[in-house]
Amino acid sequence: MQSTVQTKEVAPQPARRTGTFWNRMVRQRQLIFMSFPMLFYILLFAYAPIWGWLMAFQHFRPGFSILNQEWVGLDQFRFLFEDDAFLRVLRNTLGMSVISLVLGFVTAIGFAILLNEIKKSGIKRTIQTISYLPHFLSWVVVTGLVATSLSTEDGIVNIVLLKLHLIEEPILWLGEGKYFWGIVGASNVWKEVGWNAIIYLAAIASIDPSLYEAAEMDGASRYRKMLHITLPGIKPVIVILLILNIGWILNGGGFEIQYFLGNGQVSDWSETIDIFVLKYGLKIGNYSLGVAAGIFKTVVSIVLLFAANTIAKRLGEERLI
Amino acid sequence: MGVRARKAAYGLLMLVFAFSIIASGCSKKENAEGSGSPSASPQANSSSPSESGSASAGPEPFEISIFMQDPGPIPTENNRIYKKIKDELGVTLKEEYLVGDAEQKLGVMIAGGDYPDLITANTKLVAAKAVIPLEDLIEKNAPNLKKHYEKVWNQMKDPNDGHIYWMPNYGVYQGEFKTTQHYGPAFFIQKAVLKEFGYPKFKTLDEYFKLIEDYKAKYPEIDGQPTIGFTTLAYDWRDWPLRNAPEHLSGHPNDGGVVVDPNTNVASLFEATDIAKPYYKKLNEINAKGLMDREAFAQNFDQYLAKIASGRVLGMFDQRWNFQQGEDSLISQGKPERAYVGIPLVYDPSIRDYYVDRPVLNLNNGFGITVNAKDPVKIIKFLDTLMDPKWQKLFSWGEEGVDYQVGANGLYSRTPEQRKQQEDVTWKQANKAEALFRFLPKLEGKYPDGNADGPGNQPDEFFANLKPIDQEVLGAYGYKLWTDFFSVPPENRISYPAWSIDLVEGSPAKVANQKMKDLAFKYLPKAILSKPGDFDKVWAEYGEQMGKVDTKAYLDRVNEILKWRQENWSK
Repeated sequence: MQSTVQTKEVAPQPARRTGTFWNRMVRQRQLIFMSFPMLFYILLFAYAPIWGWLMAFQHFRPGFSILNQEWVGLDQFRFLFEDDAFLRVLRNTLGMSVISLVLGFVTAIGFAILLNEIKKSGIKRTIQTISYLPHFLSWVVVTGLVATSLSTEDGIVNIVLLKLHLIEEPILWLGEGKYFWGIVGASNVWKEVGWNAIIYLAAIASIDPSLYEAAEMDGASRYRKMLHITLPGIKPVIVILLILNIGWILNGGGFEIQYFLGNGQVSDWSETIDIFVLKYGLKIGNYSLGVAAGIFKTVVSIVLLFAANTIAKRLGEERLI
Repeated sequence: MGVRARKAAYGLLMLVFAFSIIASGCSKKENAEGSGSPSASPQANSSSPSESGSASAGPEPFEISIFMQDPGPIPTENNRIYKKIKDELGVTLKEEYLVGDAEQKLGVMIAGGDYPDLITANTKLVAAKAVIPLEDLIEKNAPNLKKHYEKVWNQMKDPNDGHIYWMPNYGVYQGEFKTTQHYGPAFFIQKAVLKEFGYPKFKTLDEYFKLIEDYKAKYPEIDGQPTIGFTTLAYDWRDWPLRNAPEHLSGHPNDGGVVVDPNTNVASLFEATDIAKPYYKKLNEINAKGLMDREAFAQNFDQYLAKIASGRVLGMFDQRWNFQQGEDSLISQGKPERAYVGIPLVYDPSIRDYYVDRPVLNLNNGFGITVNAKDPVKIIKFLDTLMDPKWQKLFSWGEEGVDYQVGANGLYSRTPEQRKQQEDVTWKQANKAEALFRFLPKLEGKYPDGNADGPGNQPDEFFANLKPIDQEVLGAYGYKLWTDFFSVPPENRISYPAWSIDLVEGSPAKVANQKMKDLAFKYLPKAILSKPGDFDKVWAEYGEQMGKVDTKAYLDRVNEILKWRQENWSK
């Protein structure tokens, strides 16, 4: 694939260097036309709204134009960073993000590799379908299920633990901060493991079968093959996904699940940046605070993305940029 | 190239063609749907000419979109009252009800400037300039409303700019008024519990929880599910079940987050102080005895209502209107003994209870008209028409001959079958407009013809509608009305009530208020659920955290408005 593209590019070069760019543009005009809608979409929805960042430096009151507002400098940022709660919500956001990220990767990769070892395709497909079905449930439904199964009254988790005599009396799972991160991580895994595994299964499928055959000839066991052929085979995919996900770490830390499952008692462990902004920005009419937090998140995300990319480059792996 | 261009043109044409087919398919479906529900309206139209003379003279159709900060009950598609409004006034009401969190929904609505025509009150909307001043509109176009609000006109004005933005839905009475039922705050207890112990009289928390404890010990399960001794609610803006009890226990009226000295008109905080501590300490004790609903703090409003409707909650502190839907469901399930009596508990029997207050204007409530409304005059005229006793009666009593009869003395009454119907929650969805009427401006007290503003307040109807268990409860205590459980309220303080004060969006007062609420939602459950030995430690920590909040900003704003009211509301 790569080599054919290169030969095509190389061929016209000696003729006229300046013309090549335009020649290529003309030759690939279909591709360019096809990319227009997406480009337009990104400009309209990702870049055009950026001028709204002005709001972060105002005391914005809706109903008036954005230029007709009270300017307050960095007050919103000061409020954000000086508040005791901010460090806590930042910690929670990062904590839950990292847990979800790590658990998400490990379980999805493990699941994909194990699933790949099943040779009967009917069973394999059935398991795969069942495992990714929860992905299509919305968080409202999932958190409802989680809350019901963790209930102290008739929740299955407490019932099972009681029957096994592991606990004396039902545990108030959603009433104690120390359990919250774990519950979030586990719910995430339950909902997404099947879905996340799909891409790894695809990557595994594209590994050259001759490698396995050769390994078999050399007497490699099943575990050896997993470790030395399957895993290295999907390594590029893993790295790319990791970079992509790290960019999302502050945003992907979640809002919905914490919002639905959290309550006053566990707020020390459940409140993320988004929930903080919702409470002190949107709910009490201070939209500027929301924008300030948004800017902060964007900057951190970009830094993380570049950092991950650079590390990947150093390690000689696939990278994004 | 030419061939290609033609091909491209064909392609484009095909695309447009396909699109138009899809679009027309959609619109056809819409038409089909539309024709389904108003199939009754052509009939109405065809019958109306015979009455009014000409077909075109009928009211011209008009649509009003409404958002209500209330989850319902949501009327059915062919609701009788909505149909009547449509047939007679030509007004179609497009309603949206609240799902989830009100403040958040409004925040998003404001950010997008996406308002309906009519909206229920929230101070946020005033700050965002989302609603229009109503005083001129009402004076010019709405004689009924003007007459209705005349006495309270000044109180309705916004302290910040002197405009009227909202039409209060409660608190304007005609004539002498005696309520039969108290819809405000109280400690509630199931009638079955009172019955079990021979209708004891009691005033204190200790006695109240003793009854609950004994009952739960005797009946650990109700209808096969574990009995819940005492529950509460800490969800969204419905924070009073958890937060407000101490002010009432200490003999203060409902001023929301503060207690106000009636002599000096100065507000102070009661949360995290010694006024509040004994109550939460008591809850901590009952938790140790297994009476507290440990999941109460994690539940949302729907779950709370469902729990009450299950009939296994023995008691809670709340305002009656808040859990009314749950109780309605108990009645329609045929479990009137699981419904509740409100009791005015106090810390010490020497304290005079102040749960029932004189009618207050329900400020910062009711409907307002938004800037998006295309024809505010038409809307206010519609609301004005609904103020007519004829429409008011339709909302409160129903249709004559269908829902009630007129007696020889001109007084309305219902037959037992009609009363039974009114208890059926699903019947009401098809035949009443409860949620809408809750927010509309309304005639309260007595109609000009002497009938009460609803069956509940019509003495004969009230007594006839009592269940055997109700008659037994009232008889045992020697009372005639449910309000007799409470002390007769003194005259309201002029600046009362503090809960309707607008704290101003995005102000330090509002931030402080949110922080106080966050702390209450965090520390009160923690204190209640902690081991009895740890209570004092948690309470001290709560006090310490409260000390860090800018409560001064909050109190300053409250006191500023209390003073303003004292000066501007005095007659």
